[in-house]
Amino acid sequence: MKSVGLGAVVVIGAKNQGLSPSHVQSPNVSDVPEGSLLPEPMECVEVAGRSLVERSLERLAAVNLEAISVVVESAAFIPTLRTDCRNVEFRVASDLKTAIRQELSNYSQQGIEHAFVNWASVYVETDLLDLFSFHREAQQAATPTFDQQGPLALWVVDCAKAQHLPLEKLLRIAGQNAASEYFIREYVNRLDHPRDLRQFASDMLRGRCRTGPYGREVRPGVWLDEGAEIHRRARVVAPAYIGGGSKVRADALITRFSNIERDCCIDCGTAVEDSSVLANTSVGIWLDLCHAVVRENMLLNLERDVLIEILDSRVLRASGASRRFAPKTSERREVLEQISDLQETRQVLNAWQLGNNNLIQE
Amino acid sequence: MQTRGPVIVMELPEKLNHAEVESFLTELQPLLEDDRPCIVLDCSQIQYMDSAGVEMLLHCLEEAMKRDGDLKLAAVSPASAVILELMRVDRLFEVFDTADQAVRSFKVFAPETSSEGQPWYGTPQGLADLKAAS
Repeated sequence: MKSVGLGAVVVIGAKNQGLSPSHVQSPNVSDVPEGSLLPEPMECVEVAGRSLVERSLERLAAVNLEAISVVVESAAFIPTLRTDCRNVEFRVASDLKTAIRQELSNYSQQGIEHAFVNWASVYVETDLLDLFSFHREAQQAATPTFDQQGPLALWVVDCAKAQHLPLEKLLRIAGQNAASEYFIREYVNRLDHPRDLRQFASDMLRGRCRTGPYGREVRPGVWLDEGAEIHRRARVVAPAYIGGGSKVRADALITRFSNIERDCCIDCGTAVEDSSVLANTSVGIWLDLCHAVVRENMLLNLERDVLIEILDSRVLRASGASRRFAPKTSERREVLEQISDLQETRQVLNAWQLGNNNLIQE
Repeated sequence: MQTRGPVIVMELPEKLNHAEVESFLTELQPLLEDDRPCIVLDCSQIQYMDSAGVEMLLHCLEEAMKRDGDLKLAAVSPASAVILELMRVDRLFEVFDTADQAVRSFKVFAPETSSEGQPWYGTPQGLADLKAAS
């Protein structure tokens, strides 16, 4: 039996190059400017500890592919992988079309006969080997996929046949011609809108997809990542996720499938309900954060479909923003002098605290 | 500012920050000091609101309620509504889609609907009946 070489090309950030399968996305996308909320593509945003790119790469790596090439539009979008994915190589390319063709050509030369081509903005949980078997039986240049809502940006491509076809023709979408198409019944998230990030977090916490939150399940439905701190007077109602290095302060409430990503702070008395607080965000005291996706000082309310920028840093800000204003050396010296003065008077204070004050009568 | 019967309708400025709040309050304060002030704040023009704006709304509500009146909001934009929700003050205000609806809501409970000198708990005749029965 002849073994078959299998690879994968994962594409990140294709939306600005007209390469994004916009015709593959659902039509009901609202006009909320996603770019102002998220500087990076949505597939690079961490949800419950890991980005969707990383989760997709894990799924591909689990099939023991010979090579996985991640084609990225900008070096800034290269995600930091927290899990060890074998055979993954990142390649920054301004022209994604050429880069994809190049990768497929390289695969062909290396003896890799077939490859998955996946836009990372579409997260698909399907049996990849079954999809590959379907593709082999169909004996076609490329096999498109689709689900109940329509075509998906996931294909299996014959690397040798791909050399002779233009990319647009090769990566045709399901339903466009007579090619055999693969129907996906399993979990799919298209990531068209930040709402889909929230949906993904909610689905993970409800156990609707195979991938799960990163970290330790400290009690049923409550996941905590390394270094997360929860005040003993704070309440976390399952299911919920608290990311690494995040702090949930006294009397705060985290509930209804909310995810607090890494290095966040939820200050005293604030309630976070059905919301996603993205990494490095600090939420102020006594607030009600409902049905929202928050990143630094930007808040997207999903119920009203409104994106607002909050300029008051006591309400929302990037975590560690106060560190920008480091005191000057002269100010530091003054503070140190004040501390030493305080230490000198400490003995007097101690006497007062011990009850030697004449004003205190028993 | 518009006066519709006993109700005063005021349009809030585009920016509801510290500077604008002060000038707006100097205009509104005398009206809040009336007996039973009935005020509708039209929020349709608001483009920007910060915590000073929210604080001003709470101050006005407090002043109106102290004098047995009320302050209602009209035409609150989605962005302003999100800020009010975030600050947990949305539940303190009655909010209407238009200023007209807010004005009408005051008229339902306007004092002129009951005849003058008549106690709220019933007619004098009814009270006399009760006394006779006891």
